[in-house]
Amino acid sequence: MPNNMTGTQQMTLVLSRVSARFADEEARGAYALKDITFGVAKGSFTSIIGPSGAGKSTLARVILGLMEHESGEIVRNFARPAMVFQNYALFPWLTALENVAFGLRMDGASLHEREHVAREKLKEVGLLHLEKHYPAMLSGGQRQRVGLARALAILPDLLVMDEPFSNLDTITAEALKTDLLKIWRSYGMTVIMVNHLIPDAIELSDQIIVMGAHPGHVEKILDVDLARPREVRGEQFFKEVDHLTEVIRTIS
Amino acid sequence: MIRSVGHPQNHAWHRSHARNYRRAWFLMAGVIGAALLLYTLGDFSSVAWPVLGTAVLETTYRLALAYGIALIIGITVALLVGWSPYADFFFPFFDVLQNLPSFALIPLFIFFFGFTDRMIIFFAVSSIIWPILFAVLNTIKSAHKDLSDAATIFGARGLKRIPYYLAPLAYPSILTGSIVGIAIGWEAVIGAEIITNIAGFGDFIKTASATGITQASIAGTLAILVIVFVLNRIIWAPLLAESAKRYAE
Repeated sequence: MPNNMTGTQQMTLVLSRVSARFADEEARGAYALKDITFGVAKGSFTSIIGPSGAGKSTLARVILGLMEHESGEIVRNFARPAMVFQNYALFPWLTALENVAFGLRMDGASLHEREHVAREKLKEVGLLHLEKHYPAMLSGGQRQRVGLARALAILPDLLVMDEPFSNLDTITAEALKTDLLKIWRSYGMTVIMVNHLIPDAIELSDQIIVMGAHPGHVEKILDVDLARPREVRGEQFFKEVDHLTEVIRTIS
Repeated sequence: MIRSVGHPQNHAWHRSHARNYRRAWFLMAGVIGAALLLYTLGDFSSVAWPVLGTAVLETTYRLALAYGIALIIGITVALLVGWSPYADFFFPFFDVLQNLPSFALIPLFIFFFGFTDRMIIFFAVSSIIWPILFAVLNTIKSAHKDLSDAATIFGARGLKRIPYYLAPLAYPSILTGSIVGIAIGWEAVIGAEIITNIAGFGDFIKTASATGITQASIAGTLAILVIVFVLNRIIWAPLLAESAKRYAE
C-alpha cells in the first residue's frame, strides 16, 4: 500500500502495484510501467518527475483511464477529471471560447450557460479579448492558457497536467505558474503535474513522485514540507533542489 | 465558413483571397473571351454547340449526383469505422476493394442497372468513394493522441465522438478526398459514356472523333476545363485555404 496513505477517504487517488504496457511491448515481455504504488491526498499538489522514458505521461494516461492497466489496483476517488496537455491539444476547428466551452457542451449545458462560464474562465486566464481567435492564431502561452481555461470550465476535482510549461519560454512559463498556484488555491482541487523541472516541482508540490526508467517505476516519494508561499530564493528551497537533483542524478 | 472579418488578421486574409479571386476570374474571362473570338472567326463553326452543351450538362449532372452519393456513403462509413475499434481490421479490406480495376466492373453495373443513367452514376460512385473514404480514415487514424485524449476527457465519448470530434477533425481530408474523387469521377463518368454509348460528353467526343470533327473534341474539352476551373475557384480553393489556415499547427 502507498507509504503516505492515511485512509482512502482523504485520498483522491491510490495506485497499488499498477503495471501497464503498450500492445507492442507484450511480445517482448516489456512494461511501460511496473508496480507503481503511491497515493495522492485530496486537494494536494503532486508532481511526477523523472528522466525521459520513465513513463510519466503514460502514468498520467493510466490515472485518467485513457490507457488500460494490466495489473494492480487503482482507486479513483474523483468524478470530474480534466487534463492540460504538453502540446495544448486544442481543437483547431473551434475558437478559444468554443474550446473552453467544449466540456460543458458535452455535458449538455445551454449555449448561454456555457458561453457565460467559458468567458469567465477566459477572463480568469487573461484571454477574454481573444475569445474569437482560433488556436492557430494564438501563441504557445496563449494556447496553454486556453487549455487551462478549458480544464477549469468543467470544475474538475482532479487536474492532471502533462508537462504544461515545457513548450513555453521562461517568462510565459513563470507567469502561468503563478496563475496556476492562484487557481489551485482558489479551486481547492487535486493537481497532478508531470514535470521535468526540479525547481518547479519543489515550488509547487506537496509531494513529488520520482520515477525511474525501463520500465517506468517509482524510485522515491518525497514530501515537500516548505511553507507556502514558497520563497524560491531561500536557503531551504535550494537545499530541497539539491537533494532532489541528487536523487535524480543517482537514478539517471 | 464562419470567419470574423473584424479581426485585423482576418482582414488581411479576406483581402488576399479577394485578390486571388479577381486574378482567377480575369484569367478565366480571358479563356472564354478567346474561345468566343475563335468562334466568331469561324474556327468552331463545325461544332454542334447545343449538342455539346447538352452532353456536358448530362455528364456534369451525373458526376454531381455520383459525388453527392459517394460523399455521404464515404464519410459515413469512414467515420463509423474510424470510431469503432475495428479500423485496423477494415483498412486492408477496403484497400483490396479499391484496387479492383473499376472499368472491369462495368459489366457488373450494366447487369444490375442496364444501359441507364443510374448505371453510370453508381459506377462513378464506386470510383469516387475511395479517395474520400481513405482520406478520412487516414486522418482519424493518424490524429495526434493528445487531441483524441482531450476529446475523451472532455466528454466526446460514445456516439457523441462522431459529430463533435471525428467529423470536424476529418474536415480537411474530406476536402482533399473530394478534390481527388471528383477528378477520378470525371474520368469514370466520361469513360463509362464512351464504353456504353450512353448520351453525354464521353459519347459526344467519341462520335466527334469518329467523324473527324477535331474542333468538337477541343471545344468539349475546353468546356469541361471551364467547369472544373469555375468549381475550383468558387468551391474548393476558398474551402482549402480556410481549412489550411484554421487547421495549421
